[in-house]
Amino acid sequence: MPGQSVHFTPALPLTCQPLPYLTFMGRAGFSGFPSPAQDYEPCTLDLNTRLVKNPTQTFYVTATGDSMEGWGIFEGDLLVVDRSIEPRLGHILVAMLEGEALIKRYALYQGTPHLCSTHPHYPPLPLEGSDCQLWGVVRAVIHEYVR
Amino acid sequence: MIGLVDANNFYVSCERVFQPKLEGRPVGVMSNNDGCVIARSAELKALDIPMGTPAFKLEGLRQRGEIHLLSSNYELYGDMSARLAQLLRDACPEIAPYSIDEMFVYLDGFTNDQCEALGRKLRQRIHRHLGLPVCVGLAPTHTLAKLANHFAKQDPHYQGVCLLNGQGHTTEALLKRTPVGSVWGVGRRLAERLAIGGVNTAWDLRESDEKLLRKRFSVVLARTALELRGTPCMEMNALDQPRQRIMTSRSFGQPTGIFAEVHNALRRNAQRSAEKLREQQSLARAVMVFLNTNRHRRDQKQYFPNAVIALPSPSDDTRVILDAVRQGLEQIHRPRYQFMKAGVMLLDLVDAEQHQLSLLNPPTRDRHPFLMATVDQINQQMGQGTIRFGMTDAPAAWQLRCAHRSDRYTTRWDELMKVGTHPGAVAAAEAKQQQKKQQALTSTKRGTQPRA
Repeated sequence: MPGQSVHFTPALPLTCQPLPYLTFMGRAGFSGFPSPAQDYEPCTLDLNTRLVKNPTQTFYVTATGDSMEGWGIFEGDLLVVDRSIEPRLGHILVAMLEGEALIKRYALYQGTPHLCSTHPHYPPLPLEGSDCQLWGVVRAVIHEYVR
Repeated sequence: MIGLVDANNFYVSCERVFQPKLEGRPVGVMSNNDGCVIARSAELKALDIPMGTPAFKLEGLRQRGEIHLLSSNYELYGDMSARLAQLLRDACPEIAPYSIDEMFVYLDGFTNDQCEALGRKLRQRIHRHLGLPVCVGLAPTHTLAKLANHFAKQDPHYQGVCLLNGQGHTTEALLKRTPVGSVWGVGRRLAERLAIGGVNTAWDLRESDEKLLRKRFSVVLARTALELRGTPCMEMNALDQPRQRIMTSRSFGQPTGIFAEVHNALRRNAQRSAEKLREQQSLARAVMVFLNTNRHRRDQKQYFPNAVIALPSPSDDTRVILDAVRQGLEQIHRPRYQFMKAGVMLLDLVDAEQHQLSLLNPPTRDRHPFLMATVDQINQQMGQGTIRFGMTDAPAAWQLRCAHRSDRYTTRWDELMKVGTHPGAVAAAEAKQQQKKQQALTSTKRGTQPRA
């Protein structure tokens, strides 16, 4: 009964909704002026759909250290790591080396594949002959300026 | 063909994904409240440390750094288990999770070679995408698949994937050297009784007369024998036999997304599970709650969440389990999904008599020794569900002792895995933090001194 429902407080506080969904109150229905948004799916942009293509294989990790700053990875940044991506040259990887997980760029150095960083203190590590194992490929870095 | 995908030392493997330094080291995972060892890495097994060793006996080894002992991190294991199930769901026509680390996959219409190839591919993919080592057993029946998985784990020559036919020389040879006690559903006592009748190996059981088995033992054992011959005759629900976990799940008559309705269904399942638990005189250490949407409705949004809640101390009290179920449901329930099925799984069971009492967390304070027994008795005599539990109490504080729990890497923003940009970066950062903490501590001390 639309007339009665006015007296009830709605179950959801309408003002706090992230988007002006049409609620079960169906206001457009009895006002006579259908909302122009009625035909559009109530959807908002979801960062997950952009940054996380394979949720099952995606893990988040925190970066520590300053030697990847040249590639835009700073201390405390959030990395979106997708373990299902095949690594290619130029990708940023999380790799396991001697019992430690490291963030490095997979690139050619003097013609052979190396794990590189951008800090002069840490020269490129040759992949050949090392027991390095791939953990995942970094799909995105999230650097929060305001926390 | 039926496949059984079983993770190797699942709890330890989950820990190793996020702590690569544990690779190749002896690692154990302890029960709630750090009571005893409930999961062991191959290296720990090699040290002859049996399952269920009380943690205090290993304290010396731990402090000397010879072994690593971790508190159970059920949130992490539950999340990894859900990922494993999802990965299989994406690759196989049908799957059925059997426990937190075992999943059946149903591969109808594939040839043996295709199944084996798929098994290898799955194994490789799970290792690559989730970092978990698994073994795959393939066979025409559940019971044989379980055995095939056992062989795949034992014998390195299979490289993690073993396919058993119902007939054939390999199957015969393997079954002949498998003690009957290793067959699924044959417990120690049953194995002893079978041995009296001259049934010692899995092969003997397979060759036994089915009618005689039914007469002398049970229908279930007769079915097991048939299954060993490659004739599928067990439904998933009948597979509960050696109960290391108890599952009760039910599909809804109509899909529902309403919290109260889902909760109601789960409460029913939890009560039934708790009854089964008491029937076999076990206690559960953890409770897993799971929900499924209807995966055949491609037009609807899909969601297959689960949550694992550790109990403060092993329990068979319906009230404790109901409370854990509510907590779990609150974690995973999302509106706007239409759920088709909900279930409760009781995990890591212990024998009620053998269970060690915890000093710090005495069993639920208001526990009444006869309450549960009385409820069960009434329900048995007057029909199931005569006495039911209504709404449970307000959330109890679950204060678990978990001094050595690793971070919950996949479920908490502030506990993510830290990865260094150069060797030693993480260690340096941790040292720095420690220093800061100490400084803060000394400065507060200084601050309080004048007042004192």
